[in-house]
Amino acid sequence: MSESLFIYSCFLLFGTFVSAISQVLLKKAALQTYSSKIKEYFNSRVLSAYFLFFLASLLCIFAYRVVPLSFGPILEATGYIYVMIFGAVFFGEKITIKKALAITLILIGIGIYSLLG
Amino acid sequence: MKSLSTVLALQGLLLFYSLGSVLSKLAAGVDPVSWEFLFMYAGIILILGVYAIGWQQILKRLPLTSAYANKAVTVVWGIIWGFLIFNEPLTLGRAIGAVVVMAGIVLFAYSDHGNPGIENAIDCEISKNKEAV
Repeated sequence: MSESLFIYSCFLLFGTFVSAISQVLLKKAALQTYSSKIKEYFNSRVLSAYFLFFLASLLCIFAYRVVPLSFGPILEATGYIYVMIFGAVFFGEKITIKKALAITLILIGIGIYSLLG
Repeated sequence: MKSLSTVLALQGLLLFYSLGSVLSKLAAGVDPVSWEFLFMYAGIILILGVYAIGWQQILKRLPLTSAYANKAVTVVWGIIWGFLIFNEPLTLGRAIGAVVVMAGIVLFAYSDHGNPGIENAIDCEISKNKEAV
């Protein structure tokens, strides 16, 4: 893997992380009850979530300057790591052996693609 | 048979969703301060919006775990579009890596028992907003 591919891949990985944070914010916002319809959509959580979502999409486009399209969805699979971790930390979801094994497989797959691809 | 047609619809939806990545890759190649970029970016947002609505419809008809397992196919579309549109080489190492990642995604999907998780939140939110409009 070349140095520039590594650096741009990090942008995509960071974008995936930012997108996961925005999802946590939306989920938190969705679980809350609001006094009006307007407040349901225009509150600090939802607005910052959309800002982060926007940021993540730009990071993704920036990363694709170097990252091959075929590598994109593979790197984005790291999103499941945050689904597991944030799910456990913020929403009391269980980290099971199957989940941990699944994440390990995803990471091994990314390793194989980067090293052998 | 009903669930088969839902899975086919989901696969069609995921194919459509993968075009968003194609647009992202195309947008990466143009000047970010240009009409071309703006149109491509609008296309990306439109695809995400349509996908979010479609995904909600699929979830009404299919268990969440199966729906998530199907998402692994986006890895395949990335490789196909990369090969066809951007001349990216398809090597054995890449193919093996992709298969292992897909196995991980499918395993992750089936490790949960119907817990929507946070991944689904943004899709819900987008379609909620669409309904509001």
